[in-house]
Amino acid sequence: MQEHHHRTDKQINTDLLSSIFSTPKWWPIATLACLIVYLTGMTAFAYMLNKGVGVTGLNRPVFWGFYMVNFVFWIGISHAGIMISAILRLTQAEWRRPITRAAEVLTVFSLIAALQAAPLVHVGRPWRADLWVFPYDFSRGIWINVKSPFIWDPSAVMTYLTASSLFVFVCLIPDLAIIRDRTKGIVSKIYGFLALGWRGTPVQWKLQIVAGILLSALVLPVFVSVHSIVSWDFAAQIGPEAWHSTIFAPYFIIGAIHSGVSAVATVMVVMVWLFKWDKYITPDHLDAIGRLLIIVATAWFFFFFLEWVYALYTLEGPELAMRELQVFKMPWSAMFIIFVITAYLFPVPMWLFKKVRRNFLWMFITTISVNIGMWLERFLIIVPGLMRKQPLMFNWGSYTPSIVEILMVAMTFAWVLMGMLLFARVFPLIPLFDIKEGMVGRDEIKIGRAKVPASIRE
Amino acid sequence: MSTSQNTHEQTQFSKQADLTAKLVGLHVSKYNKNTIFLIILSVLSIIGLIGLIVKITNDGFDNPAKWGYYVTFVVFLLTTVQAAPMVAIAPFIAKGHWNRSISKVAQLFAPLGLINLLLFIPVLCVLPSLSDGRRTLWFFESLKMNAYMPHIITLISFICLVLLGIALLWISTVPDFAVLRENSKNTYNKKLFSILSNRWIGTSKQWFTQKHRIGILGAFYFMTLVILNFQISSDFAMSLIPGWIDSLYPATHTANSFQAGVATVIIAMYALRKWGGCKDFIGFDQFWALGKLMFALSLMWVWFFFSSFIIFWYGAKPTEKAIIELSMTGPYFIPFLGSAFLLFILPLLTMPFNRIRRSILGPTILAFFILIGSFLDRLRIYVPAYQLSDHPNKHNFYLPDVPKTILPDIPDLMIIVGGISAVILTYILLTKFIPVVSIWQQKELSLYKIHKKFHRTEVLVLGKPE
Amino acid sequence: MFNKRSVIGLFTDEDSVADALDKVSESGFKSTEYEILTGTPYPDGTFGDEEPKHKLYRFPIIGAMCGFIVGLLLTAGNQIAFPLITGGKPLLSIPPMLIIMYEGTMLGAILFTVFGIIFESRLPRLFMGAYDTKITEGYIGICITSSPDKMLQAEEVLKNSGAEEVKRGWE
Repeated sequence: MQEHHHRTDKQINTDLLSSIFSTPKWWPIATLACLIVYLTGMTAFAYMLNKGVGVTGLNRPVFWGFYMVNFVFWIGISHAGIMISAILRLTQAEWRRPITRAAEVLTVFSLIAALQAAPLVHVGRPWRADLWVFPYDFSRGIWINVKSPFIWDPSAVMTYLTASSLFVFVCLIPDLAIIRDRTKGIVSKIYGFLALGWRGTPVQWKLQIVAGILLSALVLPVFVSVHSIVSWDFAAQIGPEAWHSTIFAPYFIIGAIHSGVSAVATVMVVMVWLFKWDKYITPDHLDAIGRLLIIVATAWFFFFFLEWVYALYTLEGPELAMRELQVFKMPWSAMFIIFVITAYLFPVPMWLFKKVRRNFLWMFITTISVNIGMWLERFLIIVPGLMRKQPLMFNWGSYTPSIVEILMVAMTFAWVLMGMLLFARVFPLIPLFDIKEGMVGRDEIKIGRAKVPASIRE
Repeated sequence: MSTSQNTHEQTQFSKQADLTAKLVGLHVSKYNKNTIFLIILSVLSIIGLIGLIVKITNDGFDNPAKWGYYVTFVVFLLTTVQAAPMVAIAPFIAKGHWNRSISKVAQLFAPLGLINLLLFIPVLCVLPSLSDGRRTLWFFESLKMNAYMPHIITLISFICLVLLGIALLWISTVPDFAVLRENSKNTYNKKLFSILSNRWIGTSKQWFTQKHRIGILGAFYFMTLVILNFQISSDFAMSLIPGWIDSLYPATHTANSFQAGVATVIIAMYALRKWGGCKDFIGFDQFWALGKLMFALSLMWVWFFFSSFIIFWYGAKPTEKAIIELSMTGPYFIPFLGSAFLLFILPLLTMPFNRIRRSILGPTILAFFILIGSFLDRLRIYVPAYQLSDHPNKHNFYLPDVPKTILPDIPDLMIIVGGISAVILTYILLTKFIPVVSIWQQKELSLYKIHKKFHRTEVLVLGKPE
Repeated sequence: MFNKRSVIGLFTDEDSVADALDKVSESGFKSTEYEILTGTPYPDGTFGDEEPKHKLYRFPIIGAMCGFIVGLLLTAGNQIAFPLITGGKPLLSIPPMLIIMYEGTMLGAILFTVFGIIFESRLPRLFMGAYDTKITEGYIGICITSSPDKMLQAEEVLKNSGAEEVKRGWE
């Protein structure tokens, strides 16, 4: 990191709590817009509950459409937070400091978005889902089917949601104390209650630091399991073409990291634009995340290559026909081309240029491009895979999403955006204590006339 | 914040000079003079060579089933010795400091790929051509490919990997050769090191290009290693087993090769620390860092393994059931159990404990077991693959019956013992010419790593140049 | 708890905090009676204080064991209680059990870790004692908690050690 802005504790408090103590003009407008979209989506959901899933475009043989695509997409985005936060904490990467909180919060809201877009909404009678998810039906003696991936899935997602929410909360405690000390009256009491009486003793700090590392080490295996299990929702089935593949778990994970880290980079840029935190999130941070993205994207592309190559390796007619459909038949071929270009061929060569990696606008464009591509990737896995006749289906068919589905997809995007905006109004999106710790541990080694940035390690 | 930079600058010169003298001294004081050990290794290597000749004479190349253990051993060397240099490459690209003292320990394994390249030639003779009708990634029938494409392309990749490894070792040692050139009294050595140091005088331009060369060669080594793992696992194992389609297996193979590569380096570190006089340079930090990495790779292995297994178990098609029986529950149940225990369960039970992880002996013992586990993991795949390579049903891409267990014969054991001995012997001989602790990397580290007073305590300050 | 009082001295410089701690210790206060309050984590021993001890690492192990047992009982119990063969799999299928047991283990470990962090940090703390909001602005506080009769002495020591401000509070 070459750009060093030294800030005092007081300046850091003022800068980073500005999103809480002052309301920018755009904030109510943006939040209201998100709320309107969200409520429209909820209305569509209520309509679907009332009329049944027939109002969607789902029909034989394509029973999974936008909802599942969106579910996988948001689960993928949710992997960013923990991946960025946990791995960078474990490797003691200094550039993690301003981005961990936003990444973790993005995880939580994305997971809730995934739950809203989840398989639950199109089971027809979602209120009965608890019967097959939770083992409590004592009266009838009907118990959950442990062998079903749809039991593994909620157990993993709920574990991940609990873990990441607690992770956010634990890391938030010292910052809540800062807000408590800067507010008065009932507001101060609420923050004080949430801060649990934090005072900043050496034991509390020690545990805070250890907690960051320990929870990272514990959440990482959960993060890996979640998307693996989501992938097994598909791969465990032998019916639909192209799904029954062993590579799905790591392929989904690396894809999730690709889209998730890109989403974090997008959030970083937006944070700088909206809150003017350019002293904290600098081109150096974008450069570092850009370099990370090159590696992640290339690893993802390798798995994409393996998935494709082994699909052709099967030499089985239905599998080859499905691949042909994906690549050569409209509109799938157009989507496939857009997917490959936006997910890899456009952003990765761009990131090879330092100027692009250090430019906020370009990073915004390229990372948004990745997520357009990765959304399409999920669509291309799910829908064409179901369209062909299978051993368990009797007819061919296609899929066109209905307005209800489109509104509900928009709803999830509005939810995440609204969640982030609301969070930023109430809690700091950049961890203040982490920034302050970075300032304490910052040093410089002089070698001749050169000054090398350095950091203190215990 | 007060700093001790002035003192740091003043002591830099003397520190660097002391370090050079110490490391040159370490290199010159030949710990590898244990001639009895070298003679034993030489004898065992010759026994291995005899074993190979006996095997070729007795079994020929027409019966692949007889060569299963041999192929297992060659692949084992690929996934241990030839993966070991990755320990030097990845942290170099990530600009890590902890690895500086062991980067050469890892890179020194790269030229040993030459031995494996020679051992690979019989494997090429054993592998059937594509004309036998098996399912392959070369789409032999539809694309009208040459029937020996796997042989040709894999050999090219193998040669590339070995050449890249040697180049990487040489490029990264050039500044050290220059130091040895200046410090050699013997005329022969002076001449040798003059040639090897390639007119190195340490200009800024030379340093700049040298670092970029190491980065680029390292990246290519990594990519070639991944590609080779992919080719070997698909063309020399998967395609020989009718009905086995496991798109994840090449990645599992590669992940295990990284795990075994780290284990190999840990064992070499232990030996060099104990008998090579490197105690001052190879310490807890290195064992701790590599121990953690090895544990993380163990978790990765089990994740990959389980990801494949659950799909086969859940799918439960007849072929999938046969594959599970073949590689896990059937004739190779014991190797499977051994590999699962040594590659995952044992690390899981031991490595979470800091007392084991943060020790010299803990990661070393575990590394030894991981190498055995890796061998067993290769065995349960490659031995049955060569048993099935002439299976009559391969045109149907379906495995109706699972073969019986076969055990290694005497020449196999001779080759394995001899091969390992030859690798150790060559490694020791290489250390005669190449310092096992990189002199320039240690000197550079001394610039960026200082201990200093921080109010009432002492802290370590690590510089990270752009 | 209620028969104790506390006093806090605020400092701006790390070295003067370290010197003040020496003086507090020399004037007879035990190490359990005073603590440093900072708005930033500092490296261990910065102020010459002892490295804080904790037993946090025990919590995830206990939690993991609890989670594993719950996962085992839940998965085995459900399959035995409702013996329905699906997909031709054995009634007691171990591979899917492993998945849920794994999640249970991790959830147990995480829940216990969070509980451990809060417990070991001695949180929640109902009474803040002597505290000043300037701590979160970069000031460093030394808080002495002792019997009411020693408060005057504590104030004196802190003032003499160069504290910019000294405040009393409840414990």
